[in-house]
Amino acid sequence: MTKWAYSGITAVLAVVVAIWAIPDLGDKYFGYFAPLNDGTSPPMPDLSPDLFLFPVSAQIVLLTVGVGLLVQIYSTAYLGHHPRYRSYALIIILFLLAMIAVVGTTNLWVLLVGWEVMGLCSYLLIGHEWETAEARAGAAKAFLMTRIADLGLVLAILVIGETYGTYDLLGAELVASDGGAENSTAIGLLVLVAVVGKSAQFPLHSWLPDAMPGPTPITALIHAATMVAAGVYLAARMFPLYRDSELVLVALAVIAGITMLIGALFALVQADLKRALAWSTVSQLALMFAAISAGDPEAGTDHLIAHGAFKALLFLGCGCLMHTVGSSALSAMGGLRKAMPVTFVSMTIGFAALAGLAPTVGFFTKDSVLEALKHSADGDGTLPASVGQVLFYVALATTFVTAVYAARLWLIAFFGEPKEGHEAPRAMLLPVVLLAVATFALSIGQPFHLGFGLVSTGIAVLATAVVVYAWSNRGELDIDAPLLTRELDLDTPYTRWIPAITREAARLVVVVDRDGVDAYSDGGASGAQLTSRALEIVQSRNVQRYATVMTLGVIALVVAGVIWT
Amino acid sequence: MPLLYPLILAAVLFGIGVYGVLARRNAVLMLLGVELMLNAVNLNLVAFDAWLEDEIHTGQSLTLFTIAIAAAEIGLGLAIILALFRAVRTIDVDQVGAES
Amino acid sequence: MITTALSIPFGLGLLLLVFRNTVSGRVAALLGSAAMAASLVLYALVWEGRSVRVSGEVDTSWIEPLGARLHLGVTYVSWPFLLMTAVLGLLCCVWLIAEDTSPALVGLVLIISASALGVFSSLDLLLFFVFFELALIPMWFVIAWWGDPHDPEGRRRAATRFLLFTVTGSALLLVGIVWVASPFGSLQILDIKGAALGAAVLIVLGFAVKTPLVPLHTWLPDAHSKAPTVGSVLLAGVFLKLGTYGLILLGAQMLPEEFAKIAPYVATAGVVGIVWSALACYAQDDLKRLIAYSSIGHMGFVALAISTMSDVGLAAAVFGSVAHGLITGLLFFASGSIKDRLGTASMAAIGRGLYARTPWLAVAFVFGAVASLGLPGLAGFWGELLSLRAAYEVGDVLSKPGAWTLVGFAVLGIALTTAYFVRAIRLIAQGEAVPHEGDRDLNRREALVMSVLAVGIVALGVAPGPLVGLYDGPNFQGSYEAVTP
Repeated sequence: MTKWAYSGITAVLAVVVAIWAIPDLGDKYFGYFAPLNDGTSPPMPDLSPDLFLFPVSAQIVLLTVGVGLLVQIYSTAYLGHHPRYRSYALIIILFLLAMIAVVGTTNLWVLLVGWEVMGLCSYLLIGHEWETAEARAGAAKAFLMTRIADLGLVLAILVIGETYGTYDLLGAELVASDGGAENSTAIGLLVLVAVVGKSAQFPLHSWLPDAMPGPTPITALIHAATMVAAGVYLAARMFPLYRDSELVLVALAVIAGITMLIGALFALVQADLKRALAWSTVSQLALMFAAISAGDPEAGTDHLIAHGAFKALLFLGCGCLMHTVGSSALSAMGGLRKAMPVTFVSMTIGFAALAGLAPTVGFFTKDSVLEALKHSADGDGTLPASVGQVLFYVALATTFVTAVYAARLWLIAFFGEPKEGHEAPRAMLLPVVLLAVATFALSIGQPFHLGFGLVSTGIAVLATAVVVYAWSNRGELDIDAPLLTRELDLDTPYTRWIPAITREAARLVVVVDRDGVDAYSDGGASGAQLTSRALEIVQSRNVQRYATVMTLGVIALVVAGVIWT
Repeated sequence: MPLLYPLILAAVLFGIGVYGVLARRNAVLMLLGVELMLNAVNLNLVAFDAWLEDEIHTGQSLTLFTIAIAAAEIGLGLAIILALFRAVRTIDVDQVGAES
Repeated sequence: MITTALSIPFGLGLLLLVFRNTVSGRVAALLGSAAMAASLVLYALVWEGRSVRVSGEVDTSWIEPLGARLHLGVTYVSWPFLLMTAVLGLLCCVWLIAEDTSPALVGLVLIISASALGVFSSLDLLLFFVFFELALIPMWFVIAWWGDPHDPEGRRRAATRFLLFTVTGSALLLVGIVWVASPFGSLQILDIKGAALGAAVLIVLGFAVKTPLVPLHTWLPDAHSKAPTVGSVLLAGVFLKLGTYGLILLGAQMLPEEFAKIAPYVATAGVVGIVWSALACYAQDDLKRLIAYSSIGHMGFVALAISTMSDVGLAAAVFGSVAHGLITGLLFFASGSIKDRLGTASMAAIGRGLYARTPWLAVAFVFGAVASLGLPGLAGFWGELLSLRAAYEVGDVLSKPGAWTLVGFAVLGIALTTAYFVRAIRLIAQGEAVPHEGDRDLNRREALVMSVLAVGIVALGVAPGPLVGLYDGPNFQGSYEAVTP
């Protein structure tokens, strides 16, 4: 069973990371060597590992390897028969290593390498089924959008290096937190570009739903533990470097506000479970960015970890459903409650966490985010109070929509006319069950906000009640909102305009290259030809004509000589 | 007799010779043009020889050389033209050039 | 040592040309590989460290009346170029170890490689120029005789076009050299300081044709696409480096004050080339042409780096040149393999699904493409990054608004580069496989050559330190102290 070998390698990786990361989970002091900013240029780049874990980084690497291991196990059953299983499994391992590099280092170059290698891995994995046009298009779109955004990170690192004289993140942050933060607007905006692309925020949000042709375990990996999580992590990690810039924070808040609402609304109208979950990720990530912009990165990363657990659960559960019904379309599902009890229970927990119902971890972390936003709305956060207030109410509205679509998806998938089906293989169920357990277990030790707990639970219960009421009255939950189904046409620039402009520009360049730039060489050639034509006339091959010319020449010379001497 | 007369005669002869070489297409006539030029030179040589009263008469002796060479040349030239005519049945230089 | 390293491939190359009918192609290629390997080892050993100004110096009289000397040596600028050239020459010879190789082709490859090595080791202007020219004519034969077998007319045309462009450039260069040397009274590159601005312009123009900078680039796509595989590799990997090396050595280092006046134009031409070539790539159908155009973009980054005239810029230029040699070498080997098999490099004719048809060949191509689009962790990235950094730091020559504008356009170029490589991968590697009778996966020889390059690309990408460290100038003083929060 060679396909288990890759799970074995991943398990070893997970154990090593666990041994490394678990001691760092607590708060700790550290001794550290940081270069001083003495006006000299930063050192030449290198890739020394410079491993270092903050408590939150330790949590994230553990989440990464945990989900990664579960995905590998899951894949043995889900994709084990695939002829290209080897490359698939190896790229997953590379993917995990890249994420660990992003989270576990203080060397910005190592971070960048991991960051972009992740983009490449997601490109390769989304395009794993490269025989299909959708997979090719989705993979290309994901790679292009994220890579263009990654250039923001490259420039951000350059600016950090020039500002702080070091490419060490910790060193730069120490200088910055000492009151020496400089260029925070430039750094912040560039980081913003990078994370907006990586985490699929407005206006670079459309690649994530279009990446759905990728294998479902990969979707789980990208949405939960790697790739999009890296965006939130980076925004939180670099927060000290741009905290001073109100412009950056307001921009982040605006982006987060727009994205969370449109993501949730798009998720509401989808006819495809996987795509709906993808939009839900976009919306949830925006919630995390909102927390960061409100000055509480901890709340953002806490929600990131909670989201990682329950979103992996939902996607892997979705994979189980697809395994049974052969499609991710909601119309193909329904009534699977009896046929797939384990999947049903696990995914119920997952949807509850998504909707923010107690006692799942989603309840606690979402309340922390709302708490942070409320602080900001009261003017206690980093945002201006007016922006904070708007953001807070948008977040509440999003919470409501989230609960609505969670309930809708749950009802359509599992209720209604009972359907024939069978439970997925054990290798697929085990990860799902473990993640369901984790969705509860992570709640332990989470901060609890009584007021917000009541408010958000009220909202979620109200939303669920509305949906259940509609379901029992109408018997179906199709929502007719063509504008939302078309996703507000926000993707048109990327699918139409930019490719068209590039194509036209490319065509123009080729034409100019051939007919324009070559003018001087072609001109030189035809000039030489014309000259030789002109001189050829003299070469008549007629000796008498030559002699005539010579005679005339002699006469002219003699005359000239006589005149001028 | 002033020097001018033979010089003018020589110049006229030379001019006629040049014209013959340059303008005529008939190979025999071109050869005649060459002969005219040679003889114009001969005339000059003799005239200057007389005018300078050269004691060893270099001009006259050179003229004898030239006459001898001209005789050889006309013989050779006519032979070539004859051979040419046998080969291509024409002694028009343009046609010969066009056919070769 | 350097003379030995040069004369082994030269001598063997000439012998192979003379005895081209008596040795078999396989033997010739084996001999050639051995010669290039010997040269590589010698050049690796000749290095005496960063602190020595000229390693392995040879300086004897040559043409006394002109003041030209046989002055060879390895400097910290030329060493990476020399090693890369020797490696590429060696790999080209290994590539030719096959039954159907012509011994004369091996001989020409050896002479071309040795001439390039000669250029990189010359410290005398006249010697530099002689070697510079010596590589041209063999290249004409390589393209015109062994080029695209399906298009004899086109390959002859491309070869002549290449020759005319580069000879014109060389003519400008020669005038420039004379202009520099005659008032100064010496041909020794390391001694010369200062010259007329016109001379610097001519020298830069001469190298700009070779590099090539837009708008002097139009010879390149034709020559690369019609040349045989080894010809393309040597053209892209080695010939273009003659241009960049010349710009560094004879431009930025020999005539710093004059070059400073020209630098903004060089930088602009480079960055225009980045965007221009990326757009041109986007519309290409011929794979080899696409890679050729992509070279213009990479050389644009190098030109930008050189024109900053800073230490970082120098590191960027050398790193970018070496990385481009390896990456484009790999890409041309891969596309050459495809062309050998299918008889065409047109992406439409190659058809989709190489991943399924020839998996390892497809992987090699995709790896090269990913390295070429500048993925961090692979060699191509650091050159581009350092170039951006050099321009961002502005340096003493460029103006800040200008340099930052150039950075912006260069970044746009990187984005477009990603786009066209993704397009190419999508067109040929991915997709429903359309089998072709020519489909064969890599044989051992091809796999060996490509894996050596791939290892080199990863090694330079993961550990840029040793190469970049050569240019960590003396003006850098980092100071560190312990911090405990």
